[in-house]
Parts: sequence; C-alpha cells; structure tokens
Amino acid sequence: MRIQVLGILVVATVFAGDGFAQTSSPDGWLNPDWNKPAITAANRKPAPRRSLAGMWAPAEGPGAGTQAQGVQLKPNNGRPENELPYTPYGLQLYRSHKALEGKDAVLPGNDNDPRNRCEPLGVPRSNHYNIRLTQFFQDEYKVAILYHYDNRWRVIWTDGRRLPKLVDGGVEIGGELREPRFFGYSVGRWVDDYTFEAQTIGVMPDDRVWLDSTGRPLSEQARITETFHRVDADTLVWSETIDDPKIYTRPWDALRMTFRLHDPRTDIQEYYCSPSEQENYNKLFGADAGSKGAP
Amino acid sequence: MSARNVIVSIAAVGLLVQAPLIAHHGAAAFDVGKKVVLKGTVKQWIYSNPHCLLTLEVTGEDGQVVRWIVEGQAPNVVYPAGYRKDTFTFGDQVTVTVEPVKNGRPLGRILAAVTADGQTLGAASSGFTTQTLP
Repeated sequence: MRIQVLGILVVATVFAGDGFAQTSSPDGWLNPDWNKPAITAANRKPAPRRSLAGMWAPAEGPGAGTQAQGVQLKPNNGRPENELPYTPYGLQLYRSHKALEGKDAVLPGNDNDPRNRCEPLGVPRSNHYNIRLTQFFQDEYKVAILYHYDNRWRVIWTDGRRLPKLVDGGVEIGGELREPRFFGYSVGRWVDDYTFEAQTIGVMPDDRVWLDSTGRPLSEQARITETFHRVDADTLVWSETIDDPKIYTRPWDALRMTFRLHDPRTDIQEYYCSPSEQENYNKLFGADAGSKGAP
Repeated sequence: MSARNVIVSIAAVGLLVQAPLIAHHGAAAFDVGKKVVLKGTVKQWIYSNPHCLLTLEVTGEDGQVVRWIVEGQAPNVVYPAGYRKDTFTFGDQVTVTVEPVKNGRPLGRILAAVTADGQTLGAASSGFTTQTLP
C-alpha cells in the first residue's frame, strides 16, 4: 500500500512539475491546448538561456497563423499602408500571379499558385501559410524547425559557418556554385542570451515560389532575416524582414508574431498537401465552385 | 432544379456562427454573408486534406432532391471545433448552415451544423478568432 501511494505521488509530481496544464488526452494522445491562461506577472517564468527548443504555436490561437490575406504585417487588402514597394519587375511579376486570396483573387481553377500543385512552400512562405504547431529542436550545431503544414523542416546552422555568397544561379561555397533550395541556406547566431537571429539566402527563383497566398512574389536574390526573441519561458516572438532588390525597392517587415509554448507531448494531426487529395477536392468541389454559372 | 429551391432560411439561424478562416482556396467563389440552411440526408463525409467535404441530399419544397456538397477546413483545423471523422455517417439526418457559392451551384462551406444526435457545432474552421488585420 505504501508503495502504491508513493507511486501515485511520483506520477503526480512528474505531471505537475512539467509546467503544462493537462488538457484533453484520450489514451495519452494529447490534444492541443488552445485555451491557455494569459501570461501575467504571477505566472511568468524566466526564459531559459539560449534556447528556442519546444513546441510553439500562435498565441492568438490556431487560426492566427493562417495569413490567408497575405503576410501578417502587410495583408493584401488594398489599403495604401499595406502596398508593397515593388520594383517594376516585381509589380509585373505580381500581376502575372493568379492567387486565390487577397484583393486580386481569382476563382478556383483559374489560379497558378504553386501551392495548389503541392510544390514546397520553402522559406519564407512557410512562415506565412498556416503556421500552427511548430517544433524547434536544437543542438550545439544547429536549430531545426519542423513546420506543421506539409510536414516540412529546415535547418539553421549555428556552428559558426559563414553564410554563403549569393551569386547568379545560386550560392558560392568554397569556390563552387551550389544550387538554389526551397529552404535556402541558413545560418544563425545568438545576439544575446534570449535573441536568436537567422539569415537565409539561396532560395528558389521567382518562377518557382511565392511569398504568400495572395501572389506576392519573391526572387532568388532574397535575403531573409528572422529574429526569434524568447520573451519568457512560454513566449516567443518571431519576426521577419524581406530584402529582395529584384522585387522590392527596399527591405520591409513581413512578420512579428507571438507564439506560446505548448506541451511537447502534444499530438499533431497531419496537414499534408497530397496531390491525389488535392485532385479529388478539385473534382468534387473546387472546379464547380469556380465555374461561371449553374449547370 | 436550382439550389435556391431547397429549404432556405437566411438569418434567424439561432446559432452562433463565426466567419470561417479561408485557408486553401480563397473566398472569391463564395457569396460572403449569405446563409442557407440545409436539412438533408448524409451521403458521404470525407475527412481529408485539403478540405473536408460533406455530401447531402436535400429535398426541396417541390419534392425534387438536390445533392449538395459543402466543405469544411482540413481535419487538423476543424478538430478543435468538434468535427471528427465520424461526425457524419451515411444516412444521418442533419441540418447544416452554409455559405453558398456565388454561381448558384449547390456548393457551400459549413458555418454551423446540427448532427444526427443533436450536437451543435460551429463553423468548420479553426473556430477561433483570426489575427487582427490592420
């Protein structure tokens, strides 16, 4: 009997000490907790030093990372303050994109969004499309980010290697031309104990990727700067600046989103882009929804 | 038969309905703000990416049957709002409030649903407020 009581106490201590309120957990398969109490002076815990590790999700709820109307800080809604500083080529490219979202949206079936062919979103579009439960892992060499949508992941190197040189056709590493990548080439460093900065270059050219769901463009000349600021143990602010002189006349801020820490045991439902499921959806719904009139 | 001939009730729905979050296909196809209430028989419920799809047969006032297909967001998005793989099964009698498409075809997206066992569900979306857009 004494052993049983001790066992119960040990289990209770383990669960109480991990800092996560217990939410719905059928058979141990923990559901996301989207109703966390606000962080206040009473429950705020200090951030661990130089760590981004954890499962994070938008603090405003699961829909806050959808960004259907374009990047968080500049939704494509026609308001003058949200117009982007396009170069002539950038504007021409934007007008050639037929997006399903934003002020210039077209009907389903008339779009040319690479997402709808299940092309990888890459960086930075992965930061601007349905960013939900997002896992960060890190060791002494790197930070890895596991995105929810389409089960994509990327690595930001922290081992002191330098960012490659951006050149025509890709990047230069050790005198060699290396290919552009959907998730580019990323290196990061700790600015201070609670602020991590990542630089990414060498992304895919402008005929392969978009910046957001509204057809804003991005080119292989892009340089993406991300800052991850650990405000406290439960709060992370993820910011992003786009510098792409081929498309935009000046750098501009696209993201400044607050994330809450979630229980690392949380089960994540798949959110794949499956070509066959996409085709079935278009056959049953999308094509007819976008047609011009009743049959 | 036009989709307009089905049992329709605009407003007076009596359900709390949130504007759905559009994630995969855009809002351009939908008659935003319009609501249609469908009472019908479930023929199929596809719980799949990129969108869940519910097929219903709805008998209109003229006795004709119209097959509606209405969508929700992806499973991981609608799960917190209470939608499950077995929320709808073949033969269920359900009531679904939808926002129809503009072109008059019997298609729409789910704003609310009452299942066969009387459970009331909200929009088949995240069910949470989206970001505040400037």
